[in-house]
Amino acid sequence: MRTISLSEALVRARIPQDLVKVLGVESQSSSKAEAFTQAFLKNSIQQHARHDLKSMLSHKAVVLGYSRPKKDKTRRNSKKAKGLNARQKRAMKIFQIKPEHQRYELFLPLHELWRQYIIDLCNGLKPTCSPQSVQQKLLKADFHGAIITVLRSKCPSYVGTTGILVQEFKHVFKIITKEDRLKVIPKRNSVFTVEINGFISHIYGSKFEQRAGERSAKRFKVRGTLDL
Amino acid sequence: MAHLLKDKEAYERLNYLYQAAHCVLSQNPENVELARFYCFTQRTVARRLVLKQDPSVKRTLCKKCSSLLIPGVTATTRQRRKNSKIRFTVMRCLSCGQSKTLLNNPDYCLWVDRPEAQLEQQKQPDPGHPAKNQPKDKKPDGSKSSETSTAQRTVRT
Repeated sequence: MRTISLSEALVRARIPQDLVKVLGVESQSSSKAEAFTQAFLKNSIQQHARHDLKSMLSHKAVVLGYSRPKKDKTRRNSKKAKGLNARQKRAMKIFQIKPEHQRYELFLPLHELWRQYIIDLCNGLKPTCSPQSVQQKLLKADFHGAIITVLRSKCPSYVGTTGILVQEFKHVFKIITKEDRLKVIPKRNSVFTVEINGFISHIYGSKFEQRAGERSAKRFKVRGTLDL
Repeated sequence: MAHLLKDKEAYERLNYLYQAAHCVLSQNPENVELARFYCFTQRTVARRLVLKQDPSVKRTLCKKCSSLLIPGVTATTRQRRKNSKIRFTVMRCLSCGQSKTLLNNPDYCLWVDRPEAQLEQQKQPDPGHPAKNQPKDKKPDGSKSSETSTAQRTVRT
């Protein structure tokens, strides 16, 4: 037990000053390091269904190795595409509930990054910029990480919801609100507001019903009016 | 000219998505799904607009599930050798098991790096990150080295 605690202290120690210069690396803050260690252990410990992580760490010697899953040889000769099919994606890629208990503050750096990106995109975004050109650029820009507010909607309960946009799907925005709740808001029949440096832009969700990646290639047409 | 400007915006978007994935992973290393979603979007954009990305970027994305590969967090990095003395760096994605094998030979030069003149003629705009010409030889040892490498990444982004 003593050896474990000793080595633990060794792992948790900060990187010495002279090494910092040589490697060009900074020590992370303790909370970040903690989160990293948890994730690393979880990834590298061989998974046993009946043992949970805590009891294994406290009672047993731990093997830090990744057991490779057996290759299935049936598919080797088939000329299938390398990617995953829709069913596998659905099994894996769902935005799990676990990150939902992530705090709103964790997404603030993402928002900060997004703000930088938009300001770079619009060449500084001074008040002298013409709104037309900025909006042209926003059409093709990426909105992950933006703080959006529902301004108008056909369903009154959506109006006024504010949060950081986390994921954008074809018909739906997923936002995380200040109360650490993940909310799903349909794009159809609602108007969103995005605010950057005092510049306020409205997004008509009915026109935006495209996947996030495919919107960059799509040409927008002037068609019809929106009454909301 | 107009065409080139339009491309520049798309490259900025790719760059942003790549950085966002790094940002999310550095905040919470378990949030692989969100980082994967951003990388998937990045790949979709590149595919729809037919943009070339630098090999240094493409080598950190999984081909199968398009997640961001960071050694120690979402991937394992090992040095393997085949029958003779040729050594390879094998990166295995932890979520789908797809592995990519990279030759580590300091004398080998990537195709992108070789015809520099040819590339500059066409005036290709630089994709998000500048090319790293250094040969890949990361040493696989304990958690510490992988931690430093992630820290390096977060500093760079």
